[in-house]
Amino acid sequence: MADELYLENIDEFVTDQNRVVTYKWLSFTLGVHVNQAKQMLYDYVERKRKENLGAQLHVTYLVAGNLLQNGHVCHKVAVVREDKLEAMKFKLSTITSVHVYSIQKALLKDSSPLYNTDYDIVKTNLQHCSKFSAIHCAAAVPRPPSEPPRVPAPAQGPQRHGDPDTASTVNGHRPLAAKTPPQQHRGIMGMFAAKAAAKPQDTAKEAKAEAKEAPGVSAASSKPPTKNNIMNNFFGKAAMNKLKANSVPEQPKEEKEVVKPSVAAAEPDSSPNTVAEKPGKKAESARIQQNDKKSRMKRANRLDDEEERDPENVKKKRKRIKQLQSDSSDEE
Amino acid sequence: GNDIVLRKLSELQAGEKCCVVGTVFKSMQLQPSILQEISEEHNLVPQPPQPKYIQPSDELILEDELQRIKLEGAIDVQRLVTGKRLRWHPPCGFWPGLTACSAIGTILAVYGSEQDDGGFLVEDHCFADLPPPLPWNGPSSDRFVLLASGLGLGSVSGEALLSTQLLVDVVTGQLGAEGEQSCAAHIARVILAGNLLSQNTQSRDTINKAKYLTKKTQAASVEAVKMLDEILLQLCTSVPVDVMPGEFDPTNYTLPQQPLHRCMLPLASAYATLRLVTNPYQANLDGVRFLGTSGQNISDIFKYSSMDDYLEILEWTLLAGHISPTAPDTLGCYPFYKSDPFILTECPHVYFCGNAPHFQSKLLQGKEGQRVLLVTVPDFSATQTACLVNLRDLTCQPITFSGFGADSED
Repeated sequence: MADELYLENIDEFVTDQNRVVTYKWLSFTLGVHVNQAKQMLYDYVERKRKENLGAQLHVTYLVAGNLLQNGHVCHKVAVVREDKLEAMKFKLSTITSVHVYSIQKALLKDSSPLYNTDYDIVKTNLQHCSKFSAIHCAAAVPRPPSEPPRVPAPAQGPQRHGDPDTASTVNGHRPLAAKTPPQQHRGIMGMFAAKAAAKPQDTAKEAKAEAKEAPGVSAASSKPPTKNNIMNNFFGKAAMNKLKANSVPEQPKEEKEVVKPSVAAAEPDSSPNTVAEKPGKKAESARIQQNDKKSRMKRANRLDDEEERDPENVKKKRKRIKQLQSDSSDEE
Repeated sequence: GNDIVLRKLSELQAGEKCCVVGTVFKSMQLQPSILQEISEEHNLVPQPPQPKYIQPSDELILEDELQRIKLEGAIDVQRLVTGKRLRWHPPCGFWPGLTACSAIGTILAVYGSEQDDGGFLVEDHCFADLPPPLPWNGPSSDRFVLLASGLGLGSVSGEALLSTQLLVDVVTGQLGAEGEQSCAAHIARVILAGNLLSQNTQSRDTINKAKYLTKKTQAASVEAVKMLDEILLQLCTSVPVDVMPGEFDPTNYTLPQQPLHRCMLPLASAYATLRLVTNPYQANLDGVRFLGTSGQNISDIFKYSSMDDYLEILEWTLLAGHISPTAPDTLGCYPFYKSDPFILTECPHVYFCGNAPHFQSKLLQGKEGQRVLLVTVPDFSATQTACLVNLRDLTCQPITFSGFGADSED
């Protein structure tokens, strides 16, 4: 019976695992609506208390209501321990809601375990944090990612705004770009678009594991480096960082494509299209690598975090380091 | 009245009662001045920041296009602050038609007479008064806007974190019984008025310490921005959010502050409900005109004036017709030379300022039928209070959140 099941679950969480079970944590863990989770907790407390008067159970409640303070009506929302519940209810002139906030075995000294529990569970469910909520907003849909879902959502952000509309951001109006064509734009925005375009293409490659995609990537990646020459002159260091950001993800991916040798400057042997670009690109990328290794390491670390411990990416990171060393030795 | 003579400063005659219109300038001895510091030959320690820079010896001077004159008499020198001393165009209407002027700064009209010693003895004065009203198109049913400011993420205090989480939970409809949730469902917008990051994130380590010590350390604001991103993501999945930058946020320092860049908030900017906006911010929400700042303008006036009450200062800026009269004198501001965007040409329906020490609100009624709700939004990290504005009847209610601590007293 479903009811018994959830009661057992809660029992297990509280007594066996000694967890702090908040309504939000329960809602996400069992996949139920928040109000249902609150009801479940309430039922559990009632039953447990009836069965076993000496139950080791501490409950915190959420109380909300109106309060007269300094002459005006103030709405108060508070999390209180069970022993302070009545006192708080008494203080409020009208009570709008009281419900169980959490159940735990131990007496809590302060509310930080509650916050930590909620924070952790929300963190692991960031993309669906409003799934079990009572309010749904029709307008709150993430911009549709036009790439395979393997790419994490954050990577879609820069791509979405890859339109070269720098002027309009001055007034604080963000252009709502509905769709970003993966073409090469001019300017810095173009770099992001190119990089992001290359990235999803890469992941498509990883899924298919075909060398055919390599020319596509190389074509995408070769364009930015040639533009980079111009950019370098104008923006100096700032552009250099961005260039690396560009060349770094592209190079290791191309390497991966080809066979995993530690080729010095990351040119895929099997893509004939890039032969002409090779010398220019090699010089370019070698120069970039030499100048700013530290930022690249940082970049590598950041990508690593974003992609959530994917073993392939860890490999990628290692390869990048290897490449660095071989390059610097080449340079010398 | 029409029987009062309006004179320019250059036409003043001693002893004649007349009215003069001009910009106010206050000369303050304690006002930090970079020129003073540089011109000193000795190695003087720069003046430490003080809560207030007013002194009894401060003087008020009225300037018009050609001259300036010292003001004495029935005018509260301590209360007023400097307006800008930039170009002035001749008034194109009779006093009190000051709103037709395209002058910059706090415009003041004083009534009195010039004295023999060259000062102007003031008998009465007035400001531009409320700007002309806007038509009211407000909603007929209850619609709320939540105003919060000073979330102060990245500080060491953990108590405020639970309160922030409770705020998010109430707004997204997770907390509270059914009745409360359905009320929260009527929240049409959330406006975060600045100081999303705490002052602690403004670490000066990079300036004081040697580069080799700080090379590997991350700025404190990085972690704080990540936390902000997660919080905004939770809010954005449920309600449109307008995010204004504040004094401690990673954007430019001078007013008008540009919006936070969306690259800093990758998770939340995937949603169209997130709107990164400027400071000061003006918006039409459901037919109601909102205008507000993150509080730098008000706190700057607080420093240079004897006025202590943020709500009073807020009201005064509205009456003076200028959002930030002390910029660019003591508050950093972009050097607008053609037109001043901070002059109030229309009267907003809701006028707020963020990061105030406590919550205050007042409904102001103007002579021409203006109705303005003045709100001082309190600093959330200190007070755990946000404000809920009802668009239907322009009322405002504070909401306080609290957890329990080891030393909780009821």
